[in-house]
Amino acid sequence: MSNPALLLLQDVLEEPKLIDWEWLRENFWEDIVPAFQGHIFLSFISVAVALLIALPIGILSARYRKVYPPVTFVTGILYSIPSLALFAILISIPAVGLGPTPVIIALVAYSLLILIRNTVAGLDSVPPETIDAARGMGLTNRQILFRVELPLALPIIVAGVRIATVTIIGIATIGAYISGGGLGALIFDGINRQFPTMIIAGAVLATAMAIIADLLLLGLERYLRPWARARKA
Amino acid sequence: MIEFSHVSKTYPGSNDPVVNDLSFEVPEGEICVLVGPSGCGKTTSMRMVNRLIEITEGEILIDGEPNTSMSGTQLRRKIGYAIQQIGLFPHRTIADNIGTVPNLLGWDKNRIKGRVDELLDLVGLAPDDYRDRYPAELSGGQQQRVGVARALAADPPIMLMDEPFGAVDPITRDRLQDEFLNIQDDIRKTIVFVTHDIDEAIKMGNKIAILKQGGVLAQYDTPENILARPNSEFVSSFVGGDRVLKRLSLTRVGEMDLEPANGGTDDLLRISGGLSVKDALSELIGSGHSRAVVEGEGENGLLTFAAIENLMGGASGQVTNDGETSA
Repeated sequence: MSNPALLLLQDVLEEPKLIDWEWLRENFWEDIVPAFQGHIFLSFISVAVALLIALPIGILSARYRKVYPPVTFVTGILYSIPSLALFAILISIPAVGLGPTPVIIALVAYSLLILIRNTVAGLDSVPPETIDAARGMGLTNRQILFRVELPLALPIIVAGVRIATVTIIGIATIGAYISGGGLGALIFDGINRQFPTMIIAGAVLATAMAIIADLLLLGLERYLRPWARARKA
Repeated sequence: MIEFSHVSKTYPGSNDPVVNDLSFEVPEGEICVLVGPSGCGKTTSMRMVNRLIEITEGEILIDGEPNTSMSGTQLRRKIGYAIQQIGLFPHRTIADNIGTVPNLLGWDKNRIKGRVDELLDLVGLAPDDYRDRYPAELSGGQQQRVGVARALAADPPIMLMDEPFGAVDPITRDRLQDEFLNIQDDIRKTIVFVTHDIDEAIKMGNKIAILKQGGVLAQYDTPENILARPNSEFVSSFVGGDRVLKRLSLTRVGEMDLEPANGGTDDLLRISGGLSVKDALSELIGSGHSRAVVEGEGENGLLTFAAIENLMGGASGQVTNDGETSA
């Protein structure tokens, strides 16, 4: 029995003490808080970088339709690579190495498909007559994009950010396997030390983070759509 | 004044023009209705005025200047634009929607606010109730009023209107048309108005341009002349078999030159002078008599079939094939 997970299972079955509250209290500031902060950092940076890349590509794909199929093809392949394999490939590139960098690169790669698709869907959802009226009143193309199309597309783009964020918070835990830090470090340590408290702490916090992020972004999505809150007269 | 001068539009990769050698003038302060079956190029013609579509050949002059003398966006800010689908910005309040062009032109906030309230009043929406609402909260008719107000916002001398009352029920459309004609009496804009509905064309137009397939101008004239003297079978059939009745709808009975009604009329039907001759004729036939009394402001007149025939001037429907429209 060399597999740590099986050993752990055995331990748990023999002595079902899942949560060691004392350990949590003693290691709260030293282990748990930094892991939590590291996880927020990884997720936030990844979503931000992914958005910076996805928005222009999404806008281009919506404008020049020929660009869209190759873009979805490439990002679709990125999306379908198993995360462990992607991490392995990235750390084998000398310029990348171990640590947060390959994790962020991988998380960005995973979010691109969702973010680009939602950007295109958001821009497609803008009624053509609204754009025609805007052009007919003398708005420039840039003004139409920033004052009409993007504001109207924003709720759908934010909906994409929600999905991407929840996905990223989940996958980021695996990043600890290549020394990316974050809550995954707690989970992997727990497995190696056969200490369920760490695993549960990591899992619960990652889940909680995903749920809270989802709710905050849902709030943002609603906030960005005041015209839909207004009731029909 | 807007002048179309030998305007043609051919799309790349096609040999058939969608607008073919179009020439006519829209005099200052008049409504010119472009009307015709679908595919006749009426919307394309309108959209070439503010260069949403660029001309292939010929030119459009606005007050003598070609409309290519400034950039497309500058040009469009000087021309009001209202379309059937309205295209209000769903994410902006009614006030923001109406203030779009003034905002682009850099008006200060108070001036825009004052103008928005003025326009809401003009189109019959109480500013305090509607200013801060979103388009989705308004009915179709109210949205079309806002669309017209938005087109008028920067007080452009010229307006383009593409079926601006098309998206509402017939009763509301009729009311919006009447209201707009009342507004137009005051503001005297030079308007290119597109519709597929000949009745709307007759009602709204000072001039009507009837276009046929391939963007060819079939006839350009006043509604009266088009109804009285269609210059081709196409125009005659487009305006419809009831064009004589349509002509009657252009005149009110109160405006007719009638014999005074003297005595012996007690048992006759009494008709309000505000009714159109068409409606009055319908009432007259329905009454079972051959005469009716028209109640005018001064003395009452006597409406007879002969008087109606007289109004038609005998020119009751011969197609003139020479295209001449002289009286």
